[in-house]
Amino acid sequence: MSAEADPTQRVAIGISFGNSYSSIAFTSAEGKAEVIANEDGDRQIPSILSYVGGEELHAGQAKGQLVRNTKNTVAYFRDFLGQDFKSIDPTPCHQSAHPIQHESTIGFKIQDSAEETENTVTVSEITTRHLKRLRISASDYLGKNVNAAVITVPTNFADAQKDALNKAAKEAGLEVLQFISEPVAAVLAYDARPEAKLADKVVVVADLGGIRSDIAVIASRGGIYTVLATHHDYEVSGSVLDQALMDHFAKEFIKKHKSAGDPRENDRSLAKLKLECEAVKKALSIGTSANFSVESLANGVDFQATINRSRYEILASKNFAAFARLVTHAVEKANLDPLDVSEIILGGGNSHTPKVASAVRNLFPESTIVLAPSTSSTAINPSELSVRGAAIQASLIQEFELEDIEQSTHPAVTVTPHTAKAVGILLISGDEGTAVFHTIVDAETPLPVRRTAIIATPREGGNVLLKLAEGLRHIKITKPEPRVREPSSDDEDDESEEEEEEVREKTWKVDAVLSEAALKGVKKGAKIEVQINIGHDLTVNAIFREVGGKGGVRGILQGPKVTQNGSA
Amino acid sequence: PVLPEGWSGEKDFKPIGHLSHATDRNIEPVGPHFLAHARRKRHKRTFSEDDRI
Repeated sequence: MSAEADPTQRVAIGISFGNSYSSIAFTSAEGKAEVIANEDGDRQIPSILSYVGGEELHAGQAKGQLVRNTKNTVAYFRDFLGQDFKSIDPTPCHQSAHPIQHESTIGFKIQDSAEETENTVTVSEITTRHLKRLRISASDYLGKNVNAAVITVPTNFADAQKDALNKAAKEAGLEVLQFISEPVAAVLAYDARPEAKLADKVVVVADLGGIRSDIAVIASRGGIYTVLATHHDYEVSGSVLDQALMDHFAKEFIKKHKSAGDPRENDRSLAKLKLECEAVKKALSIGTSANFSVESLANGVDFQATINRSRYEILASKNFAAFARLVTHAVEKANLDPLDVSEIILGGGNSHTPKVASAVRNLFPESTIVLAPSTSSTAINPSELSVRGAAIQASLIQEFELEDIEQSTHPAVTVTPHTAKAVGILLISGDEGTAVFHTIVDAETPLPVRRTAIIATPREGGNVLLKLAEGLRHIKITKPEPRVREPSSDDEDDESEEEEEEVREKTWKVDAVLSEAALKGVKKGAKIEVQINIGHDLTVNAIFREVGGKGGVRGILQGPKVTQNGSA
Repeated sequence: PVLPEGWSGEKDFKPIGHLSHATDRNIEPVGPHFLAHARRKRHKRTFSEDDRI
């Protein structure tokens, strides 16, 4: 192959390719991911192409054509790639060029040349043209010819869809180094920040997009990510929020101009209404009120109105609640409890809406961090999460040979045994009933793993028994007794009302003791360092040592007998 | 916990059980820590061997 395959000649970017919006980002010399704006100044680049008299309009300019030039404008095509015509849902395309069956794939009948004839353009050709425009925007910005990319895809993107996207990207002059999934890219975007600390945690990534919502529950263990459960929903999405606003303004319009008719019943009026409502929704994420104004909305009548945020929140309240339910549903799917979730990352353009974040916030305990602009000052722009992750991954693998990347992402490498239960040490008491379980290696940790923990010793020092055990997480529910209200300050009144609710806590139950070890002559008040190595074959290698002291005790536990069930 | 009287074990260590069977899951091939994992796995290195390099 030519220079393109040569890793030293590679200029790689991250691309997030969505149904509604796409974005491009690169990693600067200092290792920071930066999102690139296209020539219109947009960082969220609409995934829309439109043709007017043979000229190709892209992104924001093409979006404007949804009103005038509906039939020659192609939008919401990402999910059609590599799909069978029967399996797609063409609903989002009602207000643009309709998808049609074309041989074994999907096409669009559009006038894309100066002649007055309609051509059938396949969805992969449309994707190629879109990616080419993105590539040119990035090349212009960087002043270098961009020829490679890491592209984010949803977790349920089938291999056929990836193959189709890979082919379309190649046609556009982009070598796809790797496809990474959108939620994992979002986690990487957060973990790659210099202030981020590596921890073992369960992260839920909720991506509220324009025409679909995707939730993923991810176990993050020492910076290695395992997807535990995913949930996809095509009903609850940003478009239902737009719809709530559209219905509201349409009703207002009919009230004021009885003779002009319903703007939702005329295609062009509907398109205008939709575009303006999306803009109003965005304005309401930033300000507390927004103006709606469309010239000649229906029957030549102009319409202007204002709306404030609380009104909008009432109009769309059940949609916000539905979105929050998707998140809890995904947590249930992973057989977890909301108490197990340490972080929720809100992604997708609609996560800018403050009410979306607060609706999720209300369903999770205080200890769970909700990362959205309205709930956290350190949150990253939700629209930019996956593209940032892609840019970081692109910079990590840019120098690699394509063959190396393929071998590393092969299932032989990625399918890994994960611990079924947490492994930890018993504190305070040796008796399983009363001991406190201190987790060292969490459940669902990929093997091999090495973890070190520092634990306290009995106050008087001396000879210490160290018991290694497996633990199970248990949710303890206690109903507090109703307290007599004390007539004091208002604060306490509120608290006592809350205390009527049951209290749920996370506790640990010791499942089985694995080993005992004795550490003799420990100094008073000393701490003990425990290091556990768990190998592929579940062999445990444990080292117990007094902090600052020499020697210590080591022991090896053999793994369980291998049962022949044909698994690798 | 305090060591009870009369406890003994070979080299002060007494194995009792072993870990429950693991579940096979797919890890995501993304991020610097995965790349380190892949490197170890492909060269069949252990953590301490990897640290030394």
